[in-house]
Amino acid sequence: MVNLINTVIFLPLVTGFVLLFVPRTATPVLKGIALTGAVATFVLSLAFLPIGTSAAADLSVPWISGPWLALYHVRIDALRLFFVILTTLVGAGCIWAAFSYGIAARLRGFLFLLLAFETTLLGLFTAADLLLFYIYWDLMLIPVFLLLSGYAGTEQARRAAWGYLIYNGAGGLVLLLGIIALVSQVHSFELPGTTFNLNAQLEWWIFGAFAIAFLVKTPAFPFHSWMPPTYTYSPAPLVAMVSGVQSKAGLFGLLAFALPLFPHAAHSWAPALLVLAVLSILYGAFAAIGERDAKTLVAFSSLSHLGFVWFALFAFNITSVSSSILMLVSHGLIAAALFLLLGFVEERVKTRELSQFGGLSLRAPRLAVFLLIASMAALGLPGLSGFAGEFLILIGTWQTQPLYTLLALVAVVLASVYMLKLFQSTMHGTERVPYQAAVIEMRPREMLLVAPLLAAIIFLGVWPGWLNDRTPSMVDARLTVDTRSTATSLQAKPHVERGTRS
Amino acid sequence: MPAGVTISWPVLAPIVALTSGGLLIMLVDLLSRKVDRAVLFGIGVASCVTAFAAMLPLYGREEVTLGGAFASDRFSWTFDALLLLTLAITFLLSSLRKAEDGGNAGAYGALLIFCTIGGMVMAGANNLIIIFLGIEQLSLALYVLAGTGFPREASQEAALKYVLLGSLASGFLIFGSALLYGASGGISLAPLAAAAANPSGLFVAGFALFLVGLAFKLALVPFHTWAPDVYEGSPLAVTGFMAVAVKVAAFAVLARVVYVVAGHDSVALIPLWILAILSMLVGNLGAIRQRNLKRLLGYSSIAQAGYVIVALSGVGSGGLTTMLFYLTAYALTTLGAFGVMALLGDGSDSYAELDSYRGLLFRRPLPAAAMALFFFSLAGIPATAGFYGKILLLQQALSGGPWGLAMAVTLVFGTLVSFYVYGKVVWYMYAYSEGEAALPTGNALAPWIAVVAGALGTIVFGILPQIFYASQPFLTAAAK
Repeated sequence: MVNLINTVIFLPLVTGFVLLFVPRTATPVLKGIALTGAVATFVLSLAFLPIGTSAAADLSVPWISGPWLALYHVRIDALRLFFVILTTLVGAGCIWAAFSYGIAARLRGFLFLLLAFETTLLGLFTAADLLLFYIYWDLMLIPVFLLLSGYAGTEQARRAAWGYLIYNGAGGLVLLLGIIALVSQVHSFELPGTTFNLNAQLEWWIFGAFAIAFLVKTPAFPFHSWMPPTYTYSPAPLVAMVSGVQSKAGLFGLLAFALPLFPHAAHSWAPALLVLAVLSILYGAFAAIGERDAKTLVAFSSLSHLGFVWFALFAFNITSVSSSILMLVSHGLIAAALFLLLGFVEERVKTRELSQFGGLSLRAPRLAVFLLIASMAALGLPGLSGFAGEFLILIGTWQTQPLYTLLALVAVVLASVYMLKLFQSTMHGTERVPYQAAVIEMRPREMLLVAPLLAAIIFLGVWPGWLNDRTPSMVDARLTVDTRSTATSLQAKPHVERGTRS
Repeated sequence: MPAGVTISWPVLAPIVALTSGGLLIMLVDLLSRKVDRAVLFGIGVASCVTAFAAMLPLYGREEVTLGGAFASDRFSWTFDALLLLTLAITFLLSSLRKAEDGGNAGAYGALLIFCTIGGMVMAGANNLIIIFLGIEQLSLALYVLAGTGFPREASQEAALKYVLLGSLASGFLIFGSALLYGASGGISLAPLAAAAANPSGLFVAGFALFLVGLAFKLALVPFHTWAPDVYEGSPLAVTGFMAVAVKVAAFAVLARVVYVVAGHDSVALIPLWILAILSMLVGNLGAIRQRNLKRLLGYSSIAQAGYVIVALSGVGSGGLTTMLFYLTAYALTTLGAFGVMALLGDGSDSYAELDSYRGLLFRRPLPAAAMALFFFSLAGIPATAGFYGKILLLQQALSGGPWGLAMAVTLVFGTLVSFYVYGKVVWYMYAYSEGEAALPTGNALAPWIAVVAGALGTIVFGILPQIFYASQPFLTAAAK
């Protein structure tokens, strides 16, 4: 079990290196190997399902003991399990989807980078050591930058790649500054697990550095300006990975590191972060309504939906915090499915402009059904996973932040507006397709690769408790740690109180 | 020789070995004008190996010889090893092009060796006169080497610029040393420390001039203007040698002066911190617009020198370990990058222009991947030696008070800018499938050795930095 962790993390990368030894022209072999590796990773990651809420697969090897202690410490526990499974599931779908994207001669590189990207994400979600976490955090930049600049083939994509690199690079460096400031006090990357005392001011700054990096990566308003171009001009498999999985990295960082390490600072930052969360929720929704480009529309809806998770975490309510993983997993599935499906649409009509095409359901009814399920899940239709996450979060936040909850509810209504607009203008009405477009029905491969995502969306929508029962104790413990430490700090730091009790 | 001065030959053995290697090259070249260049450079590499072997017994045992003028200690061992590595790789890179050595391989090889000896003298120098001697020996040989590509006008220009500005720097150094002697009453570093504790006006002036002289040699901003031109004009292998060996040797002197004379919190070092901040900014920002790779690496080396100074800002001898780690990482990546250029160039000048790297990944995947690795390491992307070096630097800076904090923030900002600078090179190799007319095609063995050595070192020290600590037990024990 313990040794399986490394297999799961590195199998995609190893598969990628195997690809490099296959001739570039042998596309069937390349595809076969890549898909086998990705699916095998997914199947292996399912082996961790039985670990439950108290057990954990934990592997820790001495690594660096110079000026500080760092371990090669990877772990799959209740907190990390569903991030890992989400990554392997979406990863397998994206690798399969990648078969029909990009320039044929560059397929090998495309698959290699996607697989490498999957390894960096798996490494991030299993890292239990801060140095390891940061290494994967920064390494993620490389495959995305290269995929975006090299494989979309358009000038806009190349420009988007620079935006992505500089913005996320800046976020990463701020995080690095925060981490080193912390480590130069405690001389260990092996956190949490080390007890330490920081002075309150330093803790405030360090948490701020973490928060900014996480806000950029998610992204949240006003750190999102890299997102629309990146999501719009990326090839569909890449954007499905970035939006479906990579956007969870920052929130995972909060749950696994920032909140347990700096509970006091988290509370003093909460008022500001709550405002940003609500702004993200509303801004994303309004921007999505006004958007004419299908992928940009989903990008903004993503901004709005992930705002809910920021809101949930900093409302510090037990229900909302413990539903955040459900919401994250659900958003990952929905966003990946939507972007993959829109990729299929774009492949057929060669445009993303909503005004340029419509009525595809006549020729491609199954594509319409698939897109219907995904967009209904995104707008929060009960019975699908999007509803379960949002509903639980709002129930929780209502108890601590009623005003912000009301504002967030507005965005729930707006979600219906933009998702219905997306679906209706692409699928309903009379058929309008640009000249030279050939609308064909979904191929079996396309259905098979999206179907698991939709199945998971329906499953979690019908039975959200299945996932929630497998995550709570971790998140609960974190929350109680927060409340207890806030209680003790009430006398010492009155300004903290306002953050928690308002 | 005055009575009482003892000479410890083991301490001098590496220098003696190198010197004999240099003389042997000249002799062989003199006796037979037809001797192959490979033989001469082979002798050069062999003398590097011999000198390294002569160094091994010294390791871990600090010793001062020649009446306190020359030391073999923690300041010198790793610097010496780096210098020898650089020299060996420079020989490998020089073996390709006839024009690189102006057709006179014997003199070229001997000069490279004498230059390195100058660097080793600097690394061990324990008084002002020996420091100056080492710097002069290094510089004089290098002035000539910069001009050895003389069929190209740019090389002559580089040599002339280097001579003029370098001599000016030497003037500052010797004048500063004279004032320091006046202020402290001694030429060795120990009395200087006493004078630094209670500085007189004379001491301040002398120390300032001394720092200016060193800053010239290190190409720190605002004393950097010669560097991009000289880097661009000099023959490729000499540029690589210059970018690494000169910095390593000058940092050896700087580290010793900072640790022995000043102390990391000394007010006297504030100008040094300002130089570091300026270098990080100007080096990275200046590199943005460069389209010539040698010039780009020239600016990059300015920024990297700024980073290295950050290592001196923190408390304790952990700073020395940090400096050595970063310099090792810098040496490996820079030499590796020059190795790729030499490999591809194979006698032409196309390797230096960024445009000829368009789509390189699809024509020459391995050299392109190696180049990407070296540039990622210079940028400080994780899993490379450059990354681990950078987090060590940040930790030093954050333990170094307000100036340390300022340097940490500048370092982070400079790194962000460098993402663009180094990313652009990778981008050229990768984002376009079409190459320009001049396709680099070289595939010789010698530069491949440099590339593979650089790549291995970059990855191994990046993923397992513990290996570096294990090789420096003397330093790390002192750091704890």
